Amino acid sequence: MKTLLRSNELSCPSCIKKIERSLKALDGVSEATVHFTTGRIEVEHDPERVGPEALVEAVRSAGYNSRVAPF
Amino acid sequence: MRHLKRLWRDPARRRLALTVSSGALIGASLMAGHGPGPEAAAYPLMVAAALVAGSDIASRAWSSLRARHVGIELLVTIAAGGALFIGEAWEAAAVTFLFLLGATLEAHTMERTRRTLRGLLELAPESAVVLRGGRQVEVPPQAVARGEVVIVRPGATIPVDGVVVGGRASVDEHAVTGESLAVEKGTGAPVYAGAIVQDGLLRVQAEGVGAETTLARIIRRVEEAQEERVPVQRFIDRFARWYTPAIIGLSAAAGALTGDVRLALTLLVIGCPGALVIAAPVAVVAGIGRAAQRGILIKGGAHLERAGEITALALDKTGTLTEGRPRLTEVVALSPAPAFAGGGALTGADGSPWGAARQEVLRWAAVAESGSEHPLARPIVEAAAELGPVPQAEDARISAGRGITATYGDHTIAVGTPGLMEELGIEVSGEARAVLERLRRGGRTAVLVALDGLILGVLGVADTLRAGARGAVEGLRRVGVRRIEMLTGDNLQTARAIAGAAGVDALHTELLPDEKLARIRELRREGHVVAMVGDGINDAPALAAADVGIAMGAAGTDVAIETASVALMGDDLGRLPEAVRLSRATLRVIRQNLAVALLTVTGLLLGVLAGHVDMAGGMLVHQLSVLLVVLNGVRLLRA
Repeated sequence: MKTLLRSNELSCPSCIKKIERSLKALDGVSEATVHFTTGRIEVEHDPERVGPEALVEAVRSAGYNSRVAPF
Repeated sequence: MRHLKRLWRDPARRRLALTVSSGALIGASLMAGHGPGPEAAAYPLMVAAALVAGSDIASRAWSSLRARHVGIELLVTIAAGGALFIGEAWEAAAVTFLFLLGATLEAHTMERTRRTLRGLLELAPESAVVLRGGRQVEVPPQAVARGEVVIVRPGATIPVDGVVVGGRASVDEHAVTGESLAVEKGTGAPVYAGAIVQDGLLRVQAEGVGAETTLARIIRRVEEAQEERVPVQRFIDRFARWYTPAIIGLSAAAGALTGDVRLALTLLVIGCPGALVIAAPVAVVAGIGRAAQRGILIKGGAHLERAGEITALALDKTGTLTEGRPRLTEVVALSPAPAFAGGGALTGADGSPWGAARQEVLRWAAVAESGSEHPLARPIVEAAAELGPVPQAEDARISAGRGITATYGDHTIAVGTPGLMEELGIEVSGEARAVLERLRRGGRTAVLVALDGLILGVLGVADTLRAGARGAVEGLRRVGVRRIEMLTGDNLQTARAIAGAAGVDALHTELLPDEKLARIRELRREGHVVAMVGDGINDAPALAAADVGIAMGAAGTDVAIETASVALMGDDLGRLPEAVRLSRATLRVIRQNLAVALLTVTGLLLGVLAGHVDMAGGMLVHQLSVLLVVLNGVRLLRA
């Protein structure tokens, strides 16, 4: 399942890798892509093993607030 | 207590709180050391400042390490920690404070460049009222199923794409269509998510929901464009990938070789290429976002770059320079005609009724054109229909490029060029030719109408020049487009009038689609960066062959929009010079930013190695350069 997160706090392109790897470290996440220019975070995950709230939490512990967005 | 806990959990708030605290502690320390206050407190206060700011940086460094990523936070943590270790509390405090402050300001300012789309995103409705089981239920807009009916009250935003099945209202659709005036919508009318109902109530059956709505697709297109890298960015990203490890290596080497711990730590502080990596992206986001606000959809960073380099521009005539809606404008009667049974009366502009002769010319022509698909047929038939019902011709034959011949009862009708009349053996008088020429010089497409071997009259069909076409051409010249041409399949005389009115440099007429393509290629061979503006399906090859294909949005077909680099959402030609101007401005900002970034990176590196730059200074210059570059990008939002 594809979930889209949006964050207003991305300040430096170096945060891209950090967020992506934090998300991919979660069990059930197969793909995570952070777009620095637009603040979009695309996550491909198995909803049975990890839900959208857990994704938001992972991004938060990486240091950034985010929210789930429909588009 | 609970309030504090919530503060701590919110990364942004926490960072801001720690920045302020750290700054206050530094201030207190300086006051203690140099002014009022116990001198002995200066050092511990400074250490406290470093620890306060450093805690946030260290925790981020830790979460980064857990994700197996060496980030700038780790470098700053080591540098600050090392500075504390060798007793340099001021350096540690200044570096951590400046890093936090910089990060907060950068995040905030970067967010301003993303804000152009916030406007569109905020138009996305929060909730929808859907009819289920006879009751009104409030749900999130994505939860509406296709085929369900939603109710939209006055002042509310339409939550889905769909069709009106009940009610009537005036609707503000400018976010989606670029139309600034509100549009009346009644049963059967299509509506878009994001449009606002001004007065009246609508019941809408959903066809597109959530990510499938036009609004969502526009946002997605703009965001994908903002995410696409300009060519120079790929090079910079590759450079950035090895810059940080290289600095770490350099720092370790310098420390080991010279034994100068401070030098090694200072190198770590500048271990992030900072301004260089966001130099181009910030400009691209702001430039494309600003353009989108103005109804100009640029497909991506690379397209933006080319659009800023345009030196020649070719415009299609029909539908681009002109409205694309031909209208019957003249009916000239040349000889008396057999009366048509049962007709109404058309009145001229002065209120006087049209003479019977003119009515007959029109109605006979309409009969012949009644079954034709030709672009001239519709305006003729529509105008005649106002006189009364138009019967279908019995038998119609098209002579390609020349006209149409048809039979009705005992009569034979012909509508077309002098060439057609010649083919049919019908004499075309000098008077008729004079009328033809007069109409053509006026920019009309003119055709003769003949009944049973005799010329009845002449019809003039006009496709009017778009308002603002001339202004747009002049505007393009002002932004530096040196050569502007009109390309058309239409005939020379008709096209010449339009070309003259628009003010283009050159005119190429009677072109087949392949020939339009050839002209584009020729311009490119002459060294121009060529833009082609068009809308129809026949323009797609030329749009693709040009350096920059520009499609007129609302009027354009899907094929043209997909092939083009730039889509003008409305039909306003005035956006053309604006699109070029914005692209040029964005390119300028990218170049300025890259210059600042490069100067800073090399300057800092040399400065640190030469020993002229200390940790605090290095961090200050680094953060200032990043802020400068982002603010320069923000300027584009007001371009």
